[in-house]
Amino acid sequence: MSVEKKRTINRLDSMRPLRAKVNETYLKSLEAIKAGKPAVWGMLNFYYGDPILKAMDIEVVYPENYGAIAAATGVAQQYLDRAHADGFPTHLCGYSLTTLGYASRMMRELEGEIPPEAPLGGMPRPLFLMSSAAICDARYKWFQSLGRYMDAPVWTLEAPTPGVKEYFIDGYYDRMVDMGVKHLKDFVAFVEGMVGRKMDWDKLDRTTNLMIEVNRVWHEVNELRKSRPCPMHSRDFWSAMPAALFLAGDLHDSLRLYRDMYEEVKYRVDNQIGAIPEEKYRLVFAELPPWHSLNFFDRLADRGWNFVVESFGYRPPIPIDLSDVSDPLERITRFSLQFFSGYYEDARKQNVLGGAFAYPYLKYAREWKCDGAVLHPLISCRSASTHLPYVSNMLMEELNVPSLSIEGDIVDLRLFEPEDALARAEPFEETMEHYRRMRQQKGADW
Amino acid sequence: MSESSRGISRARHIYLNRSQRARELKAEGRKIIGYPCVYVPIEMLTALDLVPYRTCGDIREPVTEADRALPGSFCPIMRNCLDCALKNKDDFLDGVITIHSSDPQEKTARVWQSYTDYPYFHFIDMPVTTRPEAVQYFTSQLNDLKETLEEFSGQTLMEDRLAAAIKSHNRQRGLVRQLHELTKPSPPLISGTELVQVVKALMSLPVAEGNDLLIEIIGEVKNRTDGPEEKAARLITWGSTLDSIEIMQLFEANANVVMDESCGGIRAYRAEVESPGDPLQGLANYYLKEITCARTFRQAKPGEARKDYAGDLQGRFGYIEGIVREWKADGAIMLLVRYCDPFAFEMPSLKDYFDSIGVPSTYIEYDYTIGALAQMRTRVEAFLETIS
Repeated sequence: MSVEKKRTINRLDSMRPLRAKVNETYLKSLEAIKAGKPAVWGMLNFYYGDPILKAMDIEVVYPENYGAIAAATGVAQQYLDRAHADGFPTHLCGYSLTTLGYASRMMRELEGEIPPEAPLGGMPRPLFLMSSAAICDARYKWFQSLGRYMDAPVWTLEAPTPGVKEYFIDGYYDRMVDMGVKHLKDFVAFVEGMVGRKMDWDKLDRTTNLMIEVNRVWHEVNELRKSRPCPMHSRDFWSAMPAALFLAGDLHDSLRLYRDMYEEVKYRVDNQIGAIPEEKYRLVFAELPPWHSLNFFDRLADRGWNFVVESFGYRPPIPIDLSDVSDPLERITRFSLQFFSGYYEDARKQNVLGGAFAYPYLKYAREWKCDGAVLHPLISCRSASTHLPYVSNMLMEELNVPSLSIEGDIVDLRLFEPEDALARAEPFEETMEHYRRMRQQKGADW
Repeated sequence: MSESSRGISRARHIYLNRSQRARELKAEGRKIIGYPCVYVPIEMLTALDLVPYRTCGDIREPVTEADRALPGSFCPIMRNCLDCALKNKDDFLDGVITIHSSDPQEKTARVWQSYTDYPYFHFIDMPVTTRPEAVQYFTSQLNDLKETLEEFSGQTLMEDRLAAAIKSHNRQRGLVRQLHELTKPSPPLISGTELVQVVKALMSLPVAEGNDLLIEIIGEVKNRTDGPEEKAARLITWGSTLDSIEIMQLFEANANVVMDESCGGIRAYRAEVESPGDPLQGLANYYLKEITCARTFRQAKPGEARKDYAGDLQGRFGYIEGIVREWKADGAIMLLVRYCDPFAFEMPSLKDYFDSIGVPSTYIEYDYTIGALAQMRTRVEAFLETIS
């Protein structure tokens, strides 16, 4: 693959310290772990578990992130091969196979030592694993499967996933909250037992508030992107998101950095500064981006493609006022539930039964005034791909917004063909032009 | 049809004409409710005089309509199930109940509900652990189901009727286990292929008719003289769903399959609902804890702070050892439907478990199409050569 390195996208200065937080936080965690602090392997859990571990001052490494790093640095393949040799089918999630291969190498070949080839100093042996039932059942089975290589206990966080219609049954929401609070209470007790320390509830209270505020500001930043031209490209979103999504690094620092970002983006809005030189097309990007080929977006920016909004699964929840909820565990639960349920009222009104996996794209395309959607089905990530045909049909039927589907994978670089995708750009522009005219004839304002 | 095989022949007929009885009942005014997964508590349907009908895929049916709604790299069974729905093959259904028993079930449910127009459609959210708060939440989900069913049917689900329905379904579970006892002799008195037909027939009939059929079949089988021949090996199969005789016939070409641990086999019948108190809680406990599908996160001890791999395997697969010993299995086939992630992750650990109890095993993957059979045949033959 040869993607020319160009820099057409006008990146935000305020994105850089947020992007740097990921690696900085990772390296700091490694140092702390080397100095004797316990390590936990975690996974994207949509806020249920992270504030608890953060308040307990526990260092968390995320194999999902590490899988992406291993792929980008070319190390993943040997771990994939090893996982396959150990009997895991090749079509499983690429991140999971990378971790399983890594764990196999570390525990069976190197007696617990970090593999020397591992990028960024590797992932140290965990005290326990925190998995999550949210969005993808392959993920908690993955952490369970790590039991073949290490005797680290696993806690699987429950994450209710209601249907759009069922969500409005009397008492339904309260019952989800009830389960969440009880579950997190037990999780706290589990963590306390594992690390031999008690929870500092005041600290958890503060951490929770900071998490909510960080995500509120991050949400407001993204609201500004409805402006035309859009002042912030999806690349900046992906670079900045981990501090809010994974709570990477110090939360006070994150809050300051997101506020800085808000100011920079607001300045651009006020001064009509776009994220690309000439915004001809506004697009939504659906699901995980090709981490290994992000320069691809510069080539599209050359053509006037501005990516103004992206995957719902990584965006902050729609803000909700939780100031009157005194119990931090309840606040965490309600905030986590909001990730899905924040969309349900509108989804029901518009009879979009596809739920949180589909409805947000309708909202985004309408409110961010998108001309098209680029869908990125991932061969080994079914949870992030299953709804894409539905989304494509829905956008066309409801809004006359066309989609372009470009297949790829989260780890296997060979499955993404940027040149093929670019060859399809021009015809897709004609399609977007056609449907723009059609929308406008029907009275739409974009 | 001889007197001695009337029940088995009837099961075969129902297997081949699955919707026939449901259509007859529909014509008589009964309401038919489809469900794609054995986690749906069909006792509640029976109690309201609704007819549960398991919607299955069809291995012989090429998927065409579902292509517009689901990607290719997705659970082929759910793709096939949805395809049948979109082709109106299940046009006699008055409603569908789906459940979050796995990601494909959950995500297909959204699409299914959006692209069809049944008078009734309900989605049950299902927790993944067996912790007390998860059981409580699941119980509340079943209460929601109860209320929507009451509204749909215009009836009140009385506790005594639910208790009676639970009793009937438990009776069915007991009869299915009794039938499986008849695979213990060598040669077994009933083949794996016949059992696939029987189980699929049960999932196409009201429970009382299913129980009558089972009683008839058990009586026949006990006295039959035309049972399966003794083959070179006795096998158990383990997987998500084995609901097609084409696959079982392939396994049984040179072996006797004495137990199918899948939701097309014994899985939904191995235990019983215990409901001394609240029947909904009894159902929640049974469906969440007793059905041993890979989708549930099981541990040796929920919330354990210390673990060891051997104990973990015992907690997840320990029930298999009794089957192997009692049914005298020589080997096991771990059957994986491609893209079924919960079962795919299970395969290496299950292999470890089989190794630990001294049972040879092999892992076979297929894509739920007839086209996969030739390759499967080669794999099975190679495995049988190894263990013989």
